Amino acid sequence: MLSVEALKIRYGEVEAVRRVDLTVDSGEIIALVGANGAGKSSTLGAVAGLVPVASGKVIFDGVDITGLTPEAIARKGVALVPEGRRIFASLTVADNLRLGGAVHQPVAEARLREEEMLELFPILRRYYRVKGGNLSGGEQQMLAIARALMGKPRMILLDEPSLGLAPQLIDTVFDLIAELRRKGLTILLVEQNVALALEIADRAVVLANGEVVLSGTAKELASSDLVRQAYLGA
Amino acid sequence: MPSLYRLHRAALCAAVFGIAAISTASAEEIIIGAATAQTGGLAPYDQPALAGLRMSLDELNAKGGLGGKYTVKLLIKDTRSDTAQTATVAQELIDAGAKIMITPCDADPSISAGQLTQPLGIPTLTLCGSAPVLTGAVGDVMFGTYPADNVQATAVADFAVSEGRKKVFLLTSPDSTYTANLPEYFGKVFEKKGGAVVGRGTFSMGQPDFSAEITNIKGLADKPDLIMTAAYEPDFPAFIQQLRGAGVTIPVYGADAIGTPTIKALGKLVDGVVYTAAGYAEPGSKLEAFNAAFTKYAGHAPESTYEVNGYEIGLILDQAVKTAGSDDPKAVRDAIAGLKDFEGITGKITYAGTDRMPLRPVALMRYEGGEGKHVQTLIPDAADVPAP
Amino acid sequence: MIAQQIINAVSLGGVYALLALGLAIVFSIVGLINFAHGELMTLSGYALLASLVLGFPFPVAVLVAVSCGALAAVAMERIAFRPMRGASVTSLLLTSFAVSSLLKVVFQNGISARPQAVAMPGWMTGAFSFGDFTIGVGPSISIVVSALALIALEVFLRRSVTGTAMRAAAEDFDVVRLMGIPASRIIATAFLLSGLLAGLAAMLWVAQRASVDPLMGFTPVLKAFIAAVVGGLGSLPGAVAGGFLLGVIEVLLQATLPGAIAPYRDAIVLSGVIAVLLVRPQGLIPAVRAQRS
Ligand SMILES: Nc1ncnc2c1ncn2[C@@H]1O[C@H](COP(=O)(O)OP(=O)(O)OP(=O)(O)O)[C@@H](O)[C@H]1O
Ligand SMILES: [Mg+2]
Repeated sequence: MLSVEALKIRYGEVEAVRRVDLTVDSGEIIALVGANGAGKSSTLGAVAGLVPVASGKVIFDGVDITGLTPEAIARKGVALVPEGRRIFASLTVADNLRLGGAVHQPVAEARLREEEMLELFPILRRYYRVKGGNLSGGEQQMLAIARALMGKPRMILLDEPSLGLAPQLIDTVFDLIAELRRKGLTILLVEQNVALALEIADRAVVLANGEVVLSGTAKELASSDLVRQAYLGA
Repeated sequence: MPSLYRLHRAALCAAVFGIAAISTASAEEIIIGAATAQTGGLAPYDQPALAGLRMSLDELNAKGGLGGKYTVKLLIKDTRSDTAQTATVAQELIDAGAKIMITPCDADPSISAGQLTQPLGIPTLTLCGSAPVLTGAVGDVMFGTYPADNVQATAVADFAVSEGRKKVFLLTSPDSTYTANLPEYFGKVFEKKGGAVVGRGTFSMGQPDFSAEITNIKGLADKPDLIMTAAYEPDFPAFIQQLRGAGVTIPVYGADAIGTPTIKALGKLVDGVVYTAAGYAEPGSKLEAFNAAFTKYAGHAPESTYEVNGYEIGLILDQAVKTAGSDDPKAVRDAIAGLKDFEGITGKITYAGTDRMPLRPVALMRYEGGEGKHVQTLIPDAADVPAP
Repeated sequence: MIAQQIINAVSLGGVYALLALGLAIVFSIVGLINFAHGELMTLSGYALLASLVLGFPFPVAVLVAVSCGALAAVAMERIAFRPMRGASVTSLLLTSFAVSSLLKVVFQNGISARPQAVAMPGWMTGAFSFGDFTIGVGPSISIVVSALALIALEVFLRRSVTGTAMRAAAEDFDVVRLMGIPASRIIATAFLLSGLLAGLAAMLWVAQRASVDPLMGFTPVLKAFIAAVVGGLGSLPGAVAGGFLLGVIEVLLQATLPGAIAPYRDAIVLSGVIAVLLVRPQGLIPAVRAQRS
């Protein structure tokens, strides 16, 4: 469904991503892991159109989407839940959701979609009229995911959804991710929490210094020495 | 005439208009330098005046030049309505050999040019600068030509008193000599003749809003029956629009700076507003003939009396050179200073006995139905005119 | 007297609020302080004059003039600012200065350096009386129009999707784009709104001044800038608060300062502004902006 080929990203002189190749098949969860600064967020940003691509290609559904605007890519069915959630703090939960579903669908459909989201995230119904900035970190993460789902994406890019959450909440988020996959969503998941990510993912890609150093099924990687030493602390 | 229009000038390019006559100055040629505003806030005043001057010089040249003898070469440079730039171009004109200097319709740039011509003894005439302090600030080479502010104010005050007005509110702006002093001259004459100044207010030029002043006027315990101001464009339209908009119907009088097409175009809003001019073209008058001739010369009718005032500057210079019998700057200066009852287009012009601001007729005008109607023309009694 | 001065302050503050809002809307979205905002006003003023000269009925002329302001704002974005998208705040600011100067020259050379009279309909000069209290038609119109415009804008920003997206874009433009909402639509709408506000403010301004001249926009845009900064640059409620505050202070000083100190009025106002900014560097109601590392 998604394939990233020989992706290179530069910020001025700095080469943040040297070469990343990866593919995500329909219905899969792929985990993208690596140390801080490895280039994970940059890769997601490039797929979503937020970060300019220096060279290489991003193909979605057989269409080259490299260099398209973020709005055009979003309309093709790719949603990014950015690192740090970036919900609209001064807007209510309702307005955050509304924007998520603003342009992809007729108003009536967006209503239904919102109802689905409120079923999925009861906490959002409770805080429907509350400003996003007043929610707790976990609630904001729920909101960010719900907002991304409002546009009925076929693929979702999750950038560190567990960041800064209490362990209990992390479980909730991962349960949710599993649930989304069951519903047929394709997921590219960036996680610092490698153990959890490998548990849920089908396959995984390990980045270091902007390059893919290892990839394979989640099982293979979980038992690989390199991953165990570097990321699983074993 | 009024002072510099506003704190800001347009960022226009320095368009320097030099009238190119390539011959060098011969014995029979006299160079007149005109440091005047082609651009910026003073341009609407300098340009008409300069057009009148050009017309008279063209006519005189056709008859042999000033005094029938000295062909005039007029060099014009743009001051961009800027005082410092005026000094710069005045110096350039002096270097080019100007023996007579013409300066803008405003005291400050005229003074800055005069400070260069005074040490050289070059007679200097402002186009329509009317602040009476102007000549004293420079020295004996500096001449006003337009009726001075204190003369205009006396004329308006005489008229207001004759109408039976008793109480005046003075609206001034400290931002220019003209707007600051003219209403105060009016107040002095008005009080001397039995009227009272019941209130004073100030504004800044370019001020957006007059509502607070207007509310103060409305709240005066002693209600004025007249408001006197020297505000002009765009402050005058703003003031009167807001005054009438607040339901105040007290008449407003001003002076020459509101005798413009812009103010006239305000129509009913300015009905009853009295202002001044350097003359009025009565049927059969010389001024009427001038207006017709000017229309033919320029392709459009004069906008105001600044044109005829500029034209009269040419006549004054002609007479002065004739009297002096030469183009010697000192002799020409003395001849101008000695003019008495000189027959201009608008009436008799006298410099003798003044401090180089002429005594000359002031026409009182009143807007009615979008037209400037003549009320009367008078030469105020010199004894009534307050000191600068 | 006091009631009267309050009305004056609200009336002037309303116009400042409209202008400051126009600046703030654009700044909140593209980080541009549009100093050519004043020229949008001037343009609307001339459009009003032209429409009246052409004999359009007054309401039609006003409609034409306000639309001209709005369209000119959109055109300004397309022609001058779009090529600069993503440039630094400083380069954007300089571009807007250039646009402003250029338009002033065009007005001066193309129309006239001298003010042109705009004859307002007679009903605008008059007053309503309630007992011994009179309120002028001019200030009343100012107050009503500013109030309606503020309410309409508020409704638009709260209720419509584009309005909501604009509020969101002020916080985090990239994420709005991630929702599939086109950047150009948001930016064009921001300029359109700012042009509408400039056009409306121009109508109120001209109604109070009865003339237009090429430099007409200079003073108001300066005041609007001050109001927007005091309120919190980029914050819409801040711009409104700043506008009204400035109106109140100006009228208050004008009404009470003795003549001898009057020339220092602007200096006093600016000192007040500096004092506010010392106490609240982000302005009265700071803008919400995403904190990003
Ligand atoms: N906007 C930017 N400008 C300059 N350098 C950047 C920018 N964004 C990221 N970088 C640099 O690019 C490299 C990769 O950053 P990126 O955010 O993609 O890493 P990451 O793998 O997501 O790290 P983390 O786990 O900390 O989120 C880093 O060295 C980072 O400093
Ligand atoms: Mg990251």
